[in-house]
Amino acid sequence: MNEVLLSHEVMVYLLSESLLYGLLLLGFLVSLRLLKLWDFEAFTTQQFRLETQSYLLATILLFMIVIKLGLLPYFVYTLDTLSDIVPGAMCGAGVIKANSYGNPLLLVKSITLVLLGIWVTLHQLDLEKKNYPYFRIKTWFFVAIFVLLSVEYGLDIAYFTQIDIHKPVTCCSVIFGQVGGANALPFHLNTLQLLLLFYLSFVLLWVLIVSHKVVWSLFGVLLFAFFAYYSVVYFFGTYIYELPTHKCPFCMLQSHYYYVGYMVWGLLLGSVFVNVNRVVMQVFFHQSVETLQRLSWLLPLLFVLLCSLYVGVYYLKNGVFL
Amino acid sequence: MIEVQGVSKTYNDGTSQAFDALKEVSFCVKKGEMVTLLGVSGSGKSTLLSLLAGLDRPSQGKIVVDGELISKLPDLHASRYRAKGVGIVFQHFNLLESLSVEENVMVPLIHAGISMETLQSRVSKSMELASITHKATQKVKALSGGEKQRCAIARALVHDPALILCDEPTANLDRANSLKFIEILQTLKGLGKTIVVATHDPLFENLSFVDRVIGMESGEIVQ
Repeated sequence: MNEVLLSHEVMVYLLSESLLYGLLLLGFLVSLRLLKLWDFEAFTTQQFRLETQSYLLATILLFMIVIKLGLLPYFVYTLDTLSDIVPGAMCGAGVIKANSYGNPLLLVKSITLVLLGIWVTLHQLDLEKKNYPYFRIKTWFFVAIFVLLSVEYGLDIAYFTQIDIHKPVTCCSVIFGQVGGANALPFHLNTLQLLLLFYLSFVLLWVLIVSHKVVWSLFGVLLFAFFAYYSVVYFFGTYIYELPTHKCPFCMLQSHYYYVGYMVWGLLLGSVFVNVNRVVMQVFFHQSVETLQRLSWLLPLLFVLLCSLYVGVYYLKNGVFL
Repeated sequence: MIEVQGVSKTYNDGTSQAFDALKEVSFCVKKGEMVTLLGVSGSGKSTLLSLLAGLDRPSQGKIVVDGELISKLPDLHASRYRAKGVGIVFQHFNLLESLSVEENVMVPLIHAGISMETLQSRVSKSMELASITHKATQKVKALSGGEKQRCAIARALVHDPALILCDEPTANLDRANSLKFIEILQTLKGLGKTIVVATHDPLFENLSFVDRVIGMESGEIVQ
């Protein structure tokens, strides 16, 4: 049997994902039934049963979403532990590239989490009203997300079953470094220009949020996330590692760096998650959710402060920049 | 005020132990009326009261209280409805034994967002109406059955609900305390409250201030 599948972390991860998928499948089937028979105006036994089932469905989905939220960092952690058995890998960066399913899987996972977050907000809005005004739309939305969740589950299985531990992978210094003469910075930017664009995109995002330019703030957060990703990998990360040549998005998730990567990427993903959610709620449902409003500027601010803090602390300790 | 249309309630629905507690019950109660639901144990009175209180949902049918569709309220709104519009007096009082009478009466106002001064004044007024002011600082566990029931009434009144529901309120009281309770109900009716009492106590059968007696048997209304 594939040694990867015998790893404790992979077993726990795949078992959890399988159980969750089982629950999701149940939720999907109940959703289809609810969509077919739902008639809020009816006072029949069937409709009352459906309303009770809709509570059950929402409870299952909320439970699933909480677990799923925890499983994303666990997935990254699992990749990191696999670097011990996948030849050539020093961290999750090499492992995720062990086959062609890794990167799409990570992308699909991030997208489903954002979509599930939108579902949660929609569900909260629905509960606040007396006549379930968003019931149909949130249930259809779940049905659509289920398709993506099925793809994710398929990719999970394909990815972990097809990691070849006899085939060496490239390590992060090759993937993200300039060992092979590669410069992965976008638009041929240099680090200073990248940094400038990062802080400018942050200011732009703040201005857009404060001035209530809802649709533009979606553009703003995506731009911010784009520059933030490159800035962390190619600039801030070097201060986390305290090594100018060490450029990797995964190593900072390891214990040597106090798992700070989980906070860095968590804040960035959270910023995107909250802002996309806020825009969807305002544009499609004309609802302003106060918590989302607050978090939409707070999370990017915390992210920028955390990243900048590493640079500041390094400078204070050593008197020079890297 | 209250409109009940074709309401049924089946417990353990869909199982071999399904039990029809209410069968197609319909009636109306006008604002300020006092109605007694009279029937033996198991006739469906308490189930009906719990549906009127928004504590449970029917298996079918429509319940409208003061223009609000109670039978379909989601949990959050059902809680708000109970917190604002309904006072409930339970057979077993459901008081917090380790708290004083005053503290028990305060409980429904904890989340009302009112000032301490207003809260104190409402609690005092409510205890006065229920004739329990003299026991205000006493722990509930030290009270007699009649006093506990009066404390429960004070608690049910403290948020000034338009509708008061009493479930077998005199079942654990002696005759003297039952009469005292009935006296309090009469005062509340005089204040314009709509009152529904579920009971099998014969004392409620011929009360002059009761507008209507609805007989119940095996989950159905029998006039």
